[in-house]
Amino acid sequence: MSYSALADLIRSNIGSIVQKWRSVVRNDDGIHSDENLSTRELTDHIPQIIEQICELISLDEEPSIATTYEARASVYMRVHQGYSGRDLIGELSLLRMILLREIVTYGLEKLTVLGLEQYFRVSQIINLYIDLEMRYAISVYADLAAGRTKLEEPRSES
Amino acid sequence: MISQKQFDKFVEDYNEDYLLLLQRASTRHYECLISSFLILTDLYNVISTLYDNGGLTYAKLPYPLSFRADEQLLAQLGFDKEGIENIHGFLPYVKETQGMELEECVASEEITSCARTSLR
Repeated sequence: MSYSALADLIRSNIGSIVQKWRSVVRNDDGIHSDENLSTRELTDHIPQIIEQICELISLDEEPSIATTYEARASVYMRVHQGYSGRDLIGELSLLRMILLREIVTYGLEKLTVLGLEQYFRVSQIINLYIDLEMRYAISVYADLAAGRTKLEEPRSES
Repeated sequence: MISQKQFDKFVEDYNEDYLLLLQRASTRHYECLISSFLILTDLYNVISTLYDNGGLTYAKLPYPLSFRADEQLLAQLGFDKEGIENIHGFLPYVKETQGMELEECVASEEITSCARTSLR
């Protein structure tokens, strides 16, 4: 199976993947920052992140600064939503598990025929993307905690 | 070697220009915005690379360069409903004038120049 066909399959299931992710985040006793967020606020950039990962899978390309804009946007929004760094790492870890499980499920349901080498490659792309976002988040939260970074107040309507 | 002060200025300039770009899009002044977006993309990549390499911090966070900036983010940046709708109208405008999505424009860098676009 080609990487682009697998990416298309994930794309066609983004809605259900996001729904599963929201459900596990909401039910995770270790994550509390989501409690005051609406469904829309919680979902935030997750669909765009999955879309960007699909693009990388489709091109068989490892993530870089130029291909992780949505990950950085997600960190920016979570910081401004008052999310804790710990909870952001927690929700990203859950997203990773769901995406990896999703691909295995496609194989089990015979929707894909993915060789071990291909599975490794796709997992690598997903892991690298999530790791880059986590790394960025840890830097930003550490700078905020140390008072080196100041948050801007939301701007009034233009 | 870049100093923290120079880096802060880069981020400040980027934030200012990005907000200006969004403000223009929010009033449907789409001309030349693709060229401006490409320049800002380069600046954002430089800022992100410098930050990721370590040794520098963000005094203020750079606004996220999202191709499909969502309503929450745009509202956070101070745009009202009409402004947000107009900003979203930029993407179809790119598709119509360039024959490709904004992401593809950035990747290919084969865009109709600002001057030619503005003559239309």
